[in-house]
Amino acid sequence: MAQRGTYQRYLNRFGWFCVTPAMVLFSLFMLYPIVSSLYYVTRRWKGMSNTFIGLGNFVRMAHDQVFQGALANNFIFMVIQIPIMIFLALMLAVLLNQGIRRFRGPLRLAIFLPAVTSLVVVSVLFRVLLQQNGMLNNVLLDAHLITTPIGWLNDAFWAKVTIILAMTWRWTGYNMVFFLVGLQSIDTEIYEAAEVDGASKFRQLFSITIPLLMPVILFSLVTSTSGTMQLFDEPNILTWQGGPANATMTAALYIYRQAFFVNADFGYATAMSYVVVLISGIFAIVQMRLLGERKAK
Amino acid sequence: MKKRMFIVLALVATLVVGLSAQKKLTVWCWDPNFNVYAMKQAALVYNKTHPDVNIEVVDMAQDIEAKIISGLQAGGAGLPDIALFQDFRIEQFLQDYPNAFVDLKAAGVDYSKFAAYKVGPMTVGNHVYGIPFDTGSTGLWLRTDYIKEAGLNPDNYAGKKLTWSEVIKLGVQVKAKTGKPLLAYQSDNFDMLRIVVQSTGGQFFNTDGSLNLRSDAFKKSLTLFKELNDKGLLYPVVGWSDWINAINSDQAAGFLNAIWMVGSVKSRPENAGKYMIIPTPKIEGVPGASNASNNGGSSWYVFSSSPNKALAVDFLKSVWATTTPDTLAFYNDILKGAGAMGTYLPSQQGSNYTARDSFFYKNQAIYHDFATWMANVPVLRYTPNYVPMRDAVAHATLNYFQGKLKTVDETIAAAESEYKQVMGQ
Repeated sequence: MAQRGTYQRYLNRFGWFCVTPAMVLFSLFMLYPIVSSLYYVTRRWKGMSNTFIGLGNFVRMAHDQVFQGALANNFIFMVIQIPIMIFLALMLAVLLNQGIRRFRGPLRLAIFLPAVTSLVVVSVLFRVLLQQNGMLNNVLLDAHLITTPIGWLNDAFWAKVTIILAMTWRWTGYNMVFFLVGLQSIDTEIYEAAEVDGASKFRQLFSITIPLLMPVILFSLVTSTSGTMQLFDEPNILTWQGGPANATMTAALYIYRQAFFVNADFGYATAMSYVVVLISGIFAIVQMRLLGERKAK
Repeated sequence: MKKRMFIVLALVATLVVGLSAQKKLTVWCWDPNFNVYAMKQAALVYNKTHPDVNIEVVDMAQDIEAKIISGLQAGGAGLPDIALFQDFRIEQFLQDYPNAFVDLKAAGVDYSKFAAYKVGPMTVGNHVYGIPFDTGSTGLWLRTDYIKEAGLNPDNYAGKKLTWSEVIKLGVQVKAKTGKPLLAYQSDNFDMLRIVVQSTGGQFFNTDGSLNLRSDAFKKSLTLFKELNDKGLLYPVVGWSDWINAINSDQAAGFLNAIWMVGSVKSRPENAGKYMIIPTPKIEGVPGASNASNNGGSSWYVFSSSPNKALAVDFLKSVWATTTPDTLAFYNDILKGAGAMGTYLPSQQGSNYTARDSFFYKNQAIYHDFATWMANVPVLRYTPNYVPMRDAVAHATLNYFQGKLKTVDETIAAAESEYKQVMGQ
């Protein structure tokens, strides 16, 4: 008995020994920044000096239409892009899982590849394609689909479309992989039974595939939402610093610009990230409540 | 045992030798064809007398300021010894990080030998912090082949001090005959508007640092831009690289920018013989307007956090700010090599300053011309808040072009409002 107690104690100590490096790093690089950010939030920062302003940063946000516009852009991207992407990813996953027999591997790779490509490199190519006299406009003009070149990067509306297209291109494959894994865990017997009962492929999709995939879809939805709230690379590089005229400015990009370009105001930037985290959190909870319940039924 | 001792000794010896020989300076800047090139040339000059110093010039493209800010916030960690700053950015850094840079006036640099308009932004009280580098003297770059194609004679324009209405007339004709807009224009960018406003002697800020967008010069400049836009004389692109690309892929018949574009234009052999550069056009009806302006220009700064700051100061001083033959030859070389025109006045006697350049239309003596125009450049007040002002004005201008803002007054009000919100005023 006594021996076992020693072993338990040994295991316990060994466990602590194993997690210590992770805990130290976590405390240093996650916990400490989060705790210290509480101090930043209440201050107006200017280079090396700062002054206490209480909730002043939040008052400033309430008057800052650039920040509000950036948040609104985040919502627009979220509401339009995520459903399109999840729908496409789901369809591609179903196709790859059931419909297509040949070239499955290369196709899967081709669709997943954008998620692991460097966006900086890709943006350069995209910008060449999307210029006023770029390939996309030339193709559309030659096909007589449009009469004047579209300002993919110049026009406030089309720049948003560009961002949505780029995000969809980049993340559809990534989400598709989750769906593929999810599909493989669905028992083929269920489909066979449905087949016997005379259910069409369409019916099978909506009555079997999607309901059984709901946990994976929920996961995709929550990660995509928080990803969209942090959207940074595309508007920074592809549409060039949130252009044209802040039309694709996002909260994350504005925070970065406030901290590193405009004012070096780390207090205001931190306060804005608090708001972004709060909104992301609320979205995650709402999504889990809504979709989680439906799954239970 | 003996063998082991020997190995240890050898290791220690190599380490000691390695450390003592490794007198290393790191320089951060951008643009391999221009700043990086110039600094590497400077390093070669310094190595003639100091062969033991290894000067590493790092090309930092976009995020150089963000990286520097992170380093400054961390008390100097990870910073280089020397960095290049745009003249319009440095005031913000000098204000926000008062002890971050080495006072070079105290280190004995003679600033009376530099162009005065370059020294202003780097001066705080009695301290001067930088080594002024290049000028941004501007001109109107025109493609003579398109002017000829439009049935006009480029010689009628060469060297002429035009007004903007004459330029518009030229542009309309070129556009009608060749289909090329006259000017490649970065629609997200403030540079061209700044060139025009500065040529009038106008300012974006009052002497007390408050915003000043309601001047007659600014209103007239905006009106001019709208006209250029509405007549289809601007070829709009987004971002710097696309702008260079538009110029080097024949999308427009010219552009309005500074001398440092020489390198980018020369990087494409097909441009040879095609470009001529005429003085910056003048806006009519603004008293004080001239045919000269400036855009860009940067200067070198030494960080106080640098462990080698004495060496860094010595390097900058001896290569960039002395009248030794080596320094004068260096300035003369980088002018030819990259079109980098320094603002060290004694260097302007170099042979390349008056030389004709066979790359340009009828072997124009472009450096002589740019240097002449530089003498008339009105001084622009940057203040630490230049960047938010620039962004707000650029955004409002684009919305004016696209019809979202209807009048000049609305545009100015929108720019003022964005500036105030971003600044938290």
